[in-house]
Amino acid sequence: MDIRLETILALELPYREELKLYRTVFDGGPGPRVAVTAGIHGDELEGLYLCHRIAAWLEELKIRRPDALRGRVELYPALNPLGLDTLTRTVPVFDSDLNRSFPGHSQGLLPQRMAAATLASLAGCALVVDVHASNIYLREIPQVRIAEEFRDTLVPLAERMNLDVIWLHGAVTVLEATIAHSLNSTGVSCLVVEMGVGMRITPAFIDQLLIGLLNVWRDLGVLAPDLPLPDLTHQPLLADGSNVHYLNAATSGMFVPCVDHWKAVTQDQLLGTIVSPHQGETLAEVRSPVDGVLFTLREYPLVYEGSLMARIMAQEVSHG
Amino acid sequence: MAERTLLSMTAPLREDFAIPYHDIGDPQRRPRAAFVAGVSGTEINGIFVLARLASFLANVAAGGHPTQQLTERVLVVPAVNLLGVNTRSGPWPFDRTNINRMFPGYDAGETTQRVAWALLSATRDAHYRIDVRSSNLDFEELPQVRLYEPRSEEREDACLFGLPAVIERPINRLYTSTLTYAWRAYGGENFVVQAGQAGYLQRHHSERLFRALVAFLQRTGILRGPELSQEEEDLHYFGPRQAVPLLAERAGMFVSRLDVGVWIQAGDVIGHIYDAFDGSIRAEVRAPVAGLLTGLRRQPLLCQGDLMARLHTLRPVADIHDEHLHDQGQ
Repeated sequence: MDIRLETILALELPYREELKLYRTVFDGGPGPRVAVTAGIHGDELEGLYLCHRIAAWLEELKIRRPDALRGRVELYPALNPLGLDTLTRTVPVFDSDLNRSFPGHSQGLLPQRMAAATLASLAGCALVVDVHASNIYLREIPQVRIAEEFRDTLVPLAERMNLDVIWLHGAVTVLEATIAHSLNSTGVSCLVVEMGVGMRITPAFIDQLLIGLLNVWRDLGVLAPDLPLPDLTHQPLLADGSNVHYLNAATSGMFVPCVDHWKAVTQDQLLGTIVSPHQGETLAEVRSPVDGVLFTLREYPLVYEGSLMARIMAQEVSHG
Repeated sequence: MAERTLLSMTAPLREDFAIPYHDIGDPQRRPRAAFVAGVSGTEINGIFVLARLASFLANVAAGGHPTQQLTERVLVVPAVNLLGVNTRSGPWPFDRTNINRMFPGYDAGETTQRVAWALLSATRDAHYRIDVRSSNLDFEELPQVRLYEPRSEEREDACLFGLPAVIERPINRLYTSTLTYAWRAYGGENFVVQAGQAGYLQRHHSERLFRALVAFLQRTGILRGPELSQEEEDLHYFGPRQAVPLLAERAGMFVSRLDVGVWIQAGDVIGHIYDAFDGSIRAEVRAPVAGLLTGLRRQPLLCQGDLMARLHTLRPVADIHDEHLHDQGQ
């Protein structure tokens, strides 16, 4: 097994420095190539830690059973390095969402060059998993998000990822500028994983996803079929436009939840309150519109009218 | 003139706020024109010019300009992103959302979706709708009308502003979430008027912009009376394949002595890229073709790949880069 760090793009910055995109390559043989991309938003760190865990696992495999890597694993932990360096979600200076810059262009603006170099590097992969960590406002349970048009290809892969929810969403023109859409449109399967919350890591979620990833890689032939792996522990529920309910703040204030994330809730159950720091009264109660599970919960307490506080997937069977 | 409210909203800690707009003319009539600025909180030229336009039109409506008559109802929204203006932020500051990526909006959705929906609801009945933009913090734009895959009457009427350039651009994926794209669903005529550079007020651009908006109102019959501006611009119409962007292949500090709006020849020097550490010249930037300098970088700090200037040529050129820049909202 060959392990190496490669630079896929270097761009000059105004004063002496360069912006560089790196990938770590674990090369085990002529089998399929797979990749994990992360850090496309500078405030999302879960994927960075996942890359570390995968690297540690593969380095240990190199000692224990180097022949078991039959293909190639590529880790792209920091696709937006300037954003990660400066605690900025977008590409700094450009204030540009890198995940709305695909497919990019090798002769375009800096974010477009980053996008184009990333896509060029990922061409030919059998599977790319793009890991996101929500944003600083919302905490998400481990889930895969799939555009309806790619459901036939991606849902069978997603079902083996050991995650809790597969969320199918309809076509949105703006989302055509994402890395996932660009890859899936050109025949490179890409699963978008959302989990945790911005600016934090959730080791339990990483452990859960790591088991799924390794199992899928073994299914694809990247890992030897006889390599023992932990069994899957989670079976995903299927969410779509018909069973996901959004709870937006009816008034501005401070949202204080009174339930735990990823728990079953019942219709009309109190989920939290919106209060004012200026006075003692409760401004609004937040109640579940349906029986279901709470799969998104607001982490950042302040809300404006309309701020998303929770998402609930309606279902009859309780969970958790 | 009436001050109306686009949207009222509570706030977590400060007092409730409202996004106001001006409703000028006979309130019984359907609005004939709607002007909007400040969807981004840093685009100061548009905000200032629309505030002045509202003052002028109110004065006309009140009889303060005896030779002028306001024949139609006009709506003027100087600033949509109030909190952004007050905190010098382009996006909605609370969640850093670009309001101009939230259209058509949704009245029960996220905060900026609600703002977008309220703005669309207030302006969609007007026949002429004009979004007044001021570029970004880095780049200065010659005052111009921008059209996105326009209908023939929009092509014709874009010339009524009398600005030196009317620039046609293709619709792209990001554009589908903007105010002007949302307006298209309601017919009428829709324009983006772009002038200057965000973050500051450029007096000469603002004055030209003000005259252009008044000229448009006069030439469409919304204002009646002798034309207030007698000057005639040398107007040019540029199609989608007449744009040539100049992107930097070296980083450093970009400095130009030119002004937007000048015609330059192929080979003319547009500016220089200096090494920001030792001061040496890293590159001389020359025009690859002859054309009108419609945009110029004013932020000297330059990354590899940054846009330095944009030329518009008299004849179509086979340059695909502008489409990609447009994809980035440039």
